[in-house]
Amino acid sequence: MTQLVQYLVGGLAAGSLYALVALGIVLLYRSSRVLNFAHGDLATLATFVAFTLLASGIPFPVAAAGSLLSAAAIGAAFFFLVLRPAREATLLGKVVTTLGLALVFSGIMQLVWGADTKVLPFPLSDTRVYTLGQVVISEINLGTILAGLALMALLYVLVQRTKVGLAMRAVAQDTTAAQALGIPARRIFGLTWALASALGGAAGILLAPVVYLDPFMMLDPFLKGFAAAVLGGMDSLPGAVVGGFLLGAAESVFAGYVSFKFKTTFAFAVIILVLMVRSEGLLGHEYRRRV
Amino acid sequence: MKACTRIALALVTVVTLAAVAASQPAERGVTATEIVLGTSMPTSGPAAFWGVPIAGAMDAWLKNINDQGGIHGRRLRLVARDDGYLPPRAVANTRELVERDNVFALVASLGTANVFAVRDYVIETQTLWITPLAGADIWAGFRRNKYVFSAYPSYIEEGIYLTTYAAQHLKSKTFAVFYQNDLYGQQGTLGIKRGIDRLPGTKLVRQVSYEVTDAEVAAQAQKLRESGADTVILYATPRHGALIVREMARLGYRPTLVSSFTLCDPAMFALAGEAWNDIYLSSYFPLPGTGDAKVEAVLQTLSRINPALARNPFNAIGGVAFIEPFLEGLRRTGPNLTKDRLVSAMESIRNWDGEILRGVTYGPDRRQGTNRLFMVKSERGQYRKLTDWYVYPTRF
Repeated sequence: MTQLVQYLVGGLAAGSLYALVALGIVLLYRSSRVLNFAHGDLATLATFVAFTLLASGIPFPVAAAGSLLSAAAIGAAFFFLVLRPAREATLLGKVVTTLGLALVFSGIMQLVWGADTKVLPFPLSDTRVYTLGQVVISEINLGTILAGLALMALLYVLVQRTKVGLAMRAVAQDTTAAQALGIPARRIFGLTWALASALGGAAGILLAPVVYLDPFMMLDPFLKGFAAAVLGGMDSLPGAVVGGFLLGAAESVFAGYVSFKFKTTFAFAVIILVLMVRSEGLLGHEYRRRV
Repeated sequence: MKACTRIALALVTVVTLAAVAASQPAERGVTATEIVLGTSMPTSGPAAFWGVPIAGAMDAWLKNINDQGGIHGRRLRLVARDDGYLPPRAVANTRELVERDNVFALVASLGTANVFAVRDYVIETQTLWITPLAGADIWAGFRRNKYVFSAYPSYIEEGIYLTTYAAQHLKSKTFAVFYQNDLYGQQGTLGIKRGIDRLPGTKLVRQVSYEVTDAEVAAQAQKLRESGADTVILYATPRHGALIVREMARLGYRPTLVSSFTLCDPAMFALAGEAWNDIYLSSYFPLPGTGDAKVEAVLQTLSRINPALARNPFNAIGGVAFIEPFLEGLRRTGPNLTKDRLVSAMESIRNWDGEILRGVTYGPDRRQGTNRLFMVKSERGQYRKLTDWYVYPTRF
């Protein structure tokens, strides 16, 4: 039993980060139906910004805030400068644009910061641990889970309990109708891109102390976050959270009891099975359009 | 057509063909002033920690040679292509280097799985390949390797050595291995198994693998802890090596830690922090910071040309180690450079000490240039040499 709980603890720590990545992906997909393949690279870029700020002696909270703001600014700029002018492009065209953006970000990071692995200074200890019986959780893992949960709660309040959130939901549901009601759809889209990008940046900052910082840090977490979004339902924010935690826990338990070699394979096999039963994901809604 | 016109046309044709033939270099990738070399390196992806400093150091060292006039009047130019540590990209890169860039020789190219993926192609095209960075065992028993010269240890022999050293000097009885699930990690694991077979009273209690794309290894650390092994041997990338020792320390699991030479870079102290203390590693050339004057001089030269190389000193001097047997071969060949003359010159290298590598030996029937290792220990941010050379049998 202790073993199982320990695997679950490790899985939930990873899952909280998958959930944060998934939230950013879902937030954008809900509003624009665009799958943002640059999400992971933008998150890494934001983490490098935090790294540079920290290296120049700026305190962690300020550096983290600066990093999230820069991620938000880049996300919004991408919407206003690239996606908005290309609004007549097909959905596939827009998705390919985000792929291009990912390559640009990756190139910039390698050019500016190099490809070697770096340690991101973090206020929580990597070595201090809390034990409950035989179960161990490090301060950094506990902090990551709590910070992730706090960010998710904040996002929930913003989307469900504020006027801006209401506008975001309205634009996501029917842009034309929302515009007819006086909602500034363009600004709301820009805000959504900014918010999703900042979420990605937060995931990057929380992930970097655990897995080290390099330009390719988000390759695996982005893939898992995307899978978590599909598992939970691409249009469901709670689904992204559930999907992230489920995926993290499932792959950790599978790795511990069955095989490390097929850990990722198993995670994706679960997703295929879920989608065979519920094509819209665990908490997603079937997409219907009236004709 | 008149006879004189025909003769004139024939003459023009002959002269043109002769001119074209004369303009072709005698040897692919070699002109009177330049030699073109090629390499495929992971300068992106999970093994960039190795690839970036190694490729950077090779380039910097060649610049240093060129600044001194090159070798026999020829400058050396390195064409480096990024493979992201992916074998299919290594194959594409190698084909491009040989068929499009017309390189005279391949140097280095990193990753046992990547080297294995291009091995047959390089052999078939009879391309010169000096010091492929792959566990030497992939060449053992492999015929037609006339143009391949290795100066890289065997992971199988290293696995045997690490296990034997731990059993005899560290009182290890139960072993576990944390390894990369590809040819690199599998060969190291095979060596550990063979070592344990030769050591009565020892046992391999757990083999725990990871994929090179894995972001974290918490479950692997837990599995190693459950094994209760008194010794864990690492065959990993620097990132995964640092992650696993940190995770094990977090869980309060502190076995004797032994590692392949691939994790010798002092940058590991920054990555893993306190957890990188008291690790036993093998090495096959003197490490930076251990008092070897030649190694320190090379590092100084490299850092002057490319200051970023000082951040990864072991991998940087590795870049020089991987290219210097070829440079020695070029010097011995003389100005009349052909592939076969270079092979003869390489075969004349006997017990040769380079700037980094020591005791390199080739011969008409020997392509395994190095077969020696020694042990070091990490202590408070530095490595300390523990043993003299351990020599293992050559296989090819």
